[in-house]
Amino acid sequence: MASPPAAAHHAFGSEFDSNAPVLIKGKIAKIEWVNPHTWIHVETTKPDGTTEIWMFEGGSPNTLLRRGVNKMTFPAGTDVIIDGYQARDHSEKRANARNITFTDGRKIFLGSTGTGAPDPEKFPATAEPPK
Amino acid sequence: MKKTIEFVGLTVLMLWTILSAAQLTQNPGQGYKPPRTADGHPDLNGTYDIATITPLVRQGPVQRVLTDEQAAKMEAQIMKERKDGDAQLSPDRPAPPKGNGDQDIPVRYRIASGNVGGYNSFWIDPGWKVNVVNGEKRSSIIVDPADGHLPAMTPEGMQRAASLRFLPRSDTRESSDPGLERAPGAYDDPERRPPSERCLLGFGSTSGPPALPVLYDNLHQIVQTPQAIMILTEMVHDVRTVRMNAQHLPKNIRPWLGDSVGHWEGDTLVVDTTNFNDKTRFYGSSENLHVVERFTRTGPKTLLYQFTMEDRATWTKPWSGEYTWPATDSHLYEYACHEGNYSMTDILKGAREREQTPAKAEDNK
Repeated sequence: MASPPAAAHHAFGSEFDSNAPVLIKGKIAKIEWVNPHTWIHVETTKPDGTTEIWMFEGGSPNTLLRRGVNKMTFPAGTDVIIDGYQARDHSEKRANARNITFTDGRKIFLGSTGTGAPDPEKFPATAEPPK
Repeated sequence: MKKTIEFVGLTVLMLWTILSAAQLTQNPGQGYKPPRTADGHPDLNGTYDIATITPLVRQGPVQRVLTDEQAAKMEAQIMKERKDGDAQLSPDRPAPPKGNGDQDIPVRYRIASGNVGGYNSFWIDPGWKVNVVNGEKRSSIIVDPADGHLPAMTPEGMQRAASLRFLPRSDTRESSDPGLERAPGAYDDPERRPPSERCLLGFGSTSGPPALPVLYDNLHQIVQTPQAIMILTEMVHDVRTVRMNAQHLPKNIRPWLGDSVGHWEGDTLVVDTTNFNDKTRFYGSSENLHVVERFTRTGPKTLLYQFTMEDRATWTKPWSGEYTWPATDSHLYEYACHEGNYSMTDILKGAREREQTPAKAEDNK
């Protein structure tokens, strides 16, 4: 018998369109610190000079809280590059947060192991923005 | 005659259940004197982080007990995946590839990541240690059948599991979109969506029974009183209330997590759960699923969790599993799932969008 499927809160493929990849450069406008998924709002400037807000879906904020990352860790205005796939309803400026990096390419959140109290030297939960 | 057959059948079933439970560690916690509550029973109060990389079902050609080398290899693999997930990317990278977002995702997470790559590893917290029971590094949570796999399903069980979500019925076309479920009408109504998407229950049997480790947010809290024992699961703040020394509810009352009653056998808490409803199906099990769980303190920071599953309409014989729950000082946080559940509207709007597009409409059938 095949292994049972790995599960997640929802089926990613039914929410996001694998034929609509996006990469957005902009500034964090705000982070919605809500379950079941964190939503990171990024303001980006379009070629015509106007701005728009994209929302990126991340994982559960509870996981990050246990690693010492909280609402204040990344203030509005932090420059980021985020890639993912747009929601199947393309009228929504929403996508999954597949990779979130600073402008130099470093991941802003880092995956640590274990919940308890990971060694901050070995497993820092976040990187510092580039100077 | 009919009664005799029923009696024999019941006796065989009881023997099977007893034999399945016999594969579990016997007399766990022997030699350890647990702290006790005022009524004299072992004190199970506390928060436990049940994350472990030991899977429910045994993977690969390994025995029940892993060698130190095998365990170290599994743990090193998890660490490598973490490091890979943290690796710096090019600031000039393009958008991810069209039609395939899973190529850089570890294979074990691909089913969940739905061809769009999910999100990277910093959100995921599936643990990083193999589980240790009675000093043994375990290769699977399932211990009976002895091969660490689920027993064969009955034809009825297979048919039920298939009709739920995973396979098309004969009158439907198979969707060509790998991100979509094949069951017809799966997106027609919010109530057709699984309980986890609806924020009714956590995913992957996190609350159980049986309570199993999932990708993240694996904390469970036990609050113990003489009359009732509460098991709180972080995701999605699912509460099981185990009524002590009580009778089961009438069969027409079927709570989301079944009806649990408990009693003490020596220093082991035994919880018996029946009365499941038709929505909380464990791998397609029926409403008549019967779960017996055993909770035993085995050390100052460990609790052994054992369970036996019996459902004649689903599996050809009962099966059992066990793994250690380590206590943790971490906080269990509120998981208010409805408040920010944009996903549900996105999923339903996505389905409506497809209905407007003739070329994609086949995928909706």
